[in-house]
Amino acid sequence: MKKGLLITMIMLLVISMGTPLFAAGQKDAGDDEITMLFMPGIADPFYYMMEKGIKAKGEELGIKIISAEFPKSWGPEAQVPILEATVAQGGVDMILIAPTAIDALVTPLKKFYDQGIEIITVDTFLGNGDYSVESDFSFPLSYIGSDNEKGGREIAENLAKMIGEKGKVYVNSTNPDVSSVNGRVKGFKEGIKEYPNIELVGVDYNMDVQQKATDQTLAALQKDPDIVGIFATNVFSSQGAFQAVVNAGLVGAVKLATWDATVDMINALKKGQVDLVLAQKPYEIGYLAVEWGYKFLKDGTEIPKAVIPGFEYFTPDNVNDPAMDEFIYK
Amino acid sequence: MTKSINSVIEESKFLKMVAKNWAFCFLLSFMVLFSFTGKGFLSIVNFQNIIHLSVIAILMATAETFVIISGGIDLSIGFIMGLSSVTAGKIIQLMFNSGNYSPAVSILTGSVIALVLSLLPGLLSGIMIAKYRVPPFIATLGMWGITNGIALKICKGFPVAMLPDNLTKIGNGYTLYIKSGEGVSFFGLPPGVGNDQIREYLRLIPNSFIFIFIIVLFLWHLLKNTKFGQHTYAIGGNEDAAVRSGINVKKHIIKIYVLSSFIAGIAGVFNVFQTGIGNFTPFGAMYELFAVAAVVIGGASLMGGKGRIFASVVGVFLIAVLENGLLISGVQPFYRFIAVGLLLILAIVIDELFPDLF
Repeated sequence: MKKGLLITMIMLLVISMGTPLFAAGQKDAGDDEITMLFMPGIADPFYYMMEKGIKAKGEELGIKIISAEFPKSWGPEAQVPILEATVAQGGVDMILIAPTAIDALVTPLKKFYDQGIEIITVDTFLGNGDYSVESDFSFPLSYIGSDNEKGGREIAENLAKMIGEKGKVYVNSTNPDVSSVNGRVKGFKEGIKEYPNIELVGVDYNMDVQQKATDQTLAALQKDPDIVGIFATNVFSSQGAFQAVVNAGLVGAVKLATWDATVDMINALKKGQVDLVLAQKPYEIGYLAVEWGYKFLKDGTEIPKAVIPGFEYFTPDNVNDPAMDEFIYK
Repeated sequence: MTKSINSVIEESKFLKMVAKNWAFCFLLSFMVLFSFTGKGFLSIVNFQNIIHLSVIAILMATAETFVIISGGIDLSIGFIMGLSSVTAGKIIQLMFNSGNYSPAVSILTGSVIALVLSLLPGLLSGIMIAKYRVPPFIATLGMWGITNGIALKICKGFPVAMLPDNLTKIGNGYTLYIKSGEGVSFFGLPPGVGNDQIREYLRLIPNSFIFIFIIVLFLWHLLKNTKFGQHTYAIGGNEDAAVRSGINVKKHIIKIYVLSSFIAGIAGVFNVFQTGIGNFTPFGAMYELFAVAAVVIGGASLMGGKGRIFASVVGVFLIAVLENGLLISGVQPFYRFIAVGLLLILAIVIDELFPDLF
């Protein structure tokens, strides 16, 4: 009985170790076509949308696209093993990656670069994101993605207009240690400085916990009941902040601006819970990455070191416009 | 030195009282302090907000109190809450949006199923701990991952939205709405009055306050006045002695983890009512660690054998008031993290200095 179990287990082990070898062998067979690997940052609507753009352009150009498994959490400890395992299957000419850390991804990506695989970073970047200056992290061809600080500044402008360029505003953000979110807050602060009659009364970090966002926003409204504008940096911040606005009885009196056009956020806008939603263009980012990558691999065309698509803004006025539909992440 | 302080305190009835309930005294002094430093802190609205937003932390802390008294620790409660929340949310969403069920039926079915399901993680950890001698830290850490994985699988990494609006109306509602000159309305604004006029009404006694008051009272009774409570203390004090005195220790430990898991399940369902969304628990939330912190601040020992329900609730309020007060006083968020950390260390130091008092 025990012997039988042991033999079964050994056989299972052999099969499980052997299968990837066969699979890899098959993939190596037809390697005259261009193959691009998409390595997303985390399983979320933003990257699903980007994957769609990548696949659409890939199909159009007749190149092969491999999507790596979407990591379940944000960080190199989740991303690097998936990246290593997927590249090890062979045949990859170019990696389109959203690095989950500005430093920890440099070494693994440099290794692939030295093996002759080209790198384009999408949405997030290595180092300070400037690949035009020679440095340890300047080997990627290009950064294609949003400019978070610019988005923050634009939100500040839009929100300022909505509140008549005067009054108190408040920011509810997620984590103090994520560069993209910090960029939004930084840009917002700079943007709001342009308006002498607007006062920024505080920035809080809810650590992605919605209750915490409600908690903090209620306290902020308790301290300054005359707050007229709130910038909430993601879905948790904005839902939590909205509940606080309801509890404080300030619906309509406080304008709420938020980031990322997920289906939930657009529904909230339709219901009047949110007044402004910034949409990044993940589809376009993916589409552009494949387009530029293909030009480089095929004809050696020089690629700009940074390609920055702009933003779209959803407001109660345009949310039902069919032309805006393509910018919703779904 | 330590001995002399102890003996001084032993002699004075008042000092003994203060030292024994230091967390409560701290709470009162914080409230006085923040009333001066924070504009808008000393107000019935703010205190009701603090209570309303502490409900989940209180549930977590009471769950953890039973486990810690028995000498264990439960790291999985935060994620059991997330699992319960997305399960309830998903079922309500599917039933409500199918159009075949009324909001009330959908909400009730979702909540009951989520509550029943939340017994399971505790049962499994309990069996692992009691029957297979897996250390509680490891068993519940395993359950931490499993429940979180299942929760994320159910909601696919998104909060479960599109639920009936009644949820947040109940969860964030008040028992009394008073407008001077126009009288009192119960459990909601008078018909025809919109959300934008809420400010004209004095709102008293959040529904969540009644809810948490009943639960805390029940759990206090369970721990203090029943055999179940006595056995919990006995096991935490000395497990061998508890076995010899004829307590079915294994069965009791399983019951404690089931209870803790169930309370976390209640927190998850409440979460849906409070936010109107089925929320998975983010990794950075650390509900379980703040619960442990509140229990320890309340005077329980991580070695087991001591702890009180109301003291743990005071621990929760101490953290909540500290955060709220610093926020209203305009202190930057980073200093608030530091303050909560210092408070926890202080709790342990006091516990170590005066071990005989508790």
